[in-house]
Amino acid sequence: MSDLQENVVKLETAKAVEQPVARQTPEPLGTQQNRHWPVKQEFTPEMLAEMEKLLPSRLNRILVTSLASCIHCGMCSNACHYTASTPDDPKLLPAYKADRFRKWYKFRYDWAAKVFPWFVGAQPLTKELAEELYDAAFGNCTMCRRCTFNCPMGVDYAFVMRIARGLLTAVGRVPQGLQETVDVHYNYGNNMAVRQDEFVETIKWIEEELQDEEGCSKFTIPVDKKGAQYFLTLNPREPKYYPLTIQSTAKVLNAAGVDFTISSRYWDLTNYALFNGIDPDAKQFSQWQAEDVQRLGCEYLLAGECGHGYRCLRWELPNWLGGVPFKVTSIIELMAKLVEDGRLKFDKSAHKGKRFTYHDSCNVARSGGILEEPRTVIRAIVDDFVELEHNREQSYCCGGGAGILAMSEYTQRRLAAGKIKADEVRATGADVVLQSCHNCTDQLKELCSHYKVPAKVMNLTELASPALIL
Amino acid sequence: MEHKVSYALWVLQEPIQYVCLAWMATLYAIKIRQLLKKPFPPEKGELKGDRTAGVIHSLTNVLRPWDMESTSTNMFFYVEFVIFHIAVILTISSTFLIPLTPWIMTPLVTKAIMAFMGLAFLIGLRRIARRLLVPNIRIITTFDDMFAIILMTTFFLVGFITMNQWLEAGAKPIDTTMMWIFFLMVTFFLIYVPFSKISHYVLYPFGRINFGRVFGGRGVLNKSVANPTWVPK
Repeated sequence: MSDLQENVVKLETAKAVEQPVARQTPEPLGTQQNRHWPVKQEFTPEMLAEMEKLLPSRLNRILVTSLASCIHCGMCSNACHYTASTPDDPKLLPAYKADRFRKWYKFRYDWAAKVFPWFVGAQPLTKELAEELYDAAFGNCTMCRRCTFNCPMGVDYAFVMRIARGLLTAVGRVPQGLQETVDVHYNYGNNMAVRQDEFVETIKWIEEELQDEEGCSKFTIPVDKKGAQYFLTLNPREPKYYPLTIQSTAKVLNAAGVDFTISSRYWDLTNYALFNGIDPDAKQFSQWQAEDVQRLGCEYLLAGECGHGYRCLRWELPNWLGGVPFKVTSIIELMAKLVEDGRLKFDKSAHKGKRFTYHDSCNVARSGGILEEPRTVIRAIVDDFVELEHNREQSYCCGGGAGILAMSEYTQRRLAAGKIKADEVRATGADVVLQSCHNCTDQLKELCSHYKVPAKVMNLTELASPALIL
Repeated sequence: MEHKVSYALWVLQEPIQYVCLAWMATLYAIKIRQLLKKPFPPEKGELKGDRTAGVIHSLTNVLRPWDMESTSTNMFFYVEFVIFHIAVILTISSTFLIPLTPWIMTPLVTKAIMAFMGLAFLIGLRRIARRLLVPNIRIITTFDDMFAIILMTTFFLVGFITMNQWLEAGAKPIDTTMMWIFFLMVTFFLIYVPFSKISHYVLYPFGRINFGRVFGGRGVLNKSVANPTWVPK
């Protein structure tokens, strides 16, 4: 039985035997509009015209520089996990993918293209070009920025692709699964439509489970505690499928004496509008969370273990909202600090005999700036830690980023693109591959199974929890 | 070394070049102005690193091929890039040095410039072959890319021959046919370059500054100045 199945069975069994809890009346969360974004299966002339109309409003300095300055040197050819895993397909080259957008941009704005569009590779936005852009932006790029870090010109491919996704989504051409995730968040306040009373009930159950652990009888998971220092946010997969992750996180925070709380309202740190490129939605989700932090008067917004969620809170939320009056940090940064301060102590024998490696999530490391902190934590807990061949900001994407797990039509491509990561994990001989992102968790589990890599996948709080000296 | 040239060639070498140079500078100024009018996306998150240090780090990464995997694993390509671009600078400079400060063009200096031109010509041939033969490069190559590299490679060859004639003539009168070709090519360059991919050098600092500003601020670049987000309690 997989960890996931085990957790779900445990959760269901526990719920079945527990006494009925007096449920509080749930507050309406989200917009309660029951919005369903009109998703289109193909482009119409009206959609193309709308994209033409929207393009000028999306042009900023990073986008324009990135679209105008590519010299087609091909240095990005080995930087992308798609090309590294499938070297025989030149259409997976980052420059080729970005050129689907660049052709259209040049047709509109390049001086030479006004006279000789064919000369600079410019093309009008046709149905065919728009389809190619759709395929490149959603199906062949996880916006991981590894190519950006290997581009001599500093072309920000992830930025280009996000704007492209936004333009496509705005006219309704967006993968159904991705858009549904955003719509659910919009309608219900979290992307798995977990009701407030169900969430609180789950947290209470997890708290009881935690208190049953040896040495943890006094540990708590405060909900809606006003004035707590840290406002802990979670990935909705945790209350749904991975309750042990919440339990582990709470155990770590309690063991270090951290004053934290979980909100019963906007606890979901994910923001899939980062992936469909619709800024008003991204702003809306951020606004809910920011208001909730202020409602509880917390000093820090603390991102749980979620790659894009961390990036959204730490780096994008202040942009979407124009700044925030609280600090934003991550459970990884906090754990590293607690280790350095001696507030977390570990028994290294808990993981004796096992070899560990760490996968840097793109949004945590390359786009997030958390590079050394996970290593501080891991080295405090285990003796046998080996780096992947490509690590820190040079880490290859596992292939599960940018919401691609929600786009089932690209499953085969996703697994193919993850081959380079699977090969690197196998080469370390590690028994456990650590990471700190739920999309990475699911993708790495699938990769290990698909490529028969004998490694378990675990996140950092799950690593820390059994080794804690209480 | 100084050689007497005809009045017509002088006109091409100097007044026409200056007009073309002014044309190029004007177009670049317009291009840069258009770019700077575009807003820079906000980065309002509390900084973890240092933006200025990030920008400096990013702008100077061309001097640190070991920094980027794409260059560190491809040092031959990087060395080619360095020689090619030094040759570009020297060749363009020589178009001004020959008419304006001919005494600088000593045999030693001329030979040094010729050496770079000769190497750059060979590198140019290899780059043309790469664009034609490597599938990953062929698929992204435009006519503009191809024309630019052929033009540069030809320019290096013409420059090499011109310099060689200049060198061998010594004090004797020089046959100016190659000089005519060389300076006509320069004139064409100055008019054409703002419309071509060759103008990437104008955009280069913007791309590097954008990158350095964002990822320097986020503490990904220049990690030595990275700060923790939290205030220790």
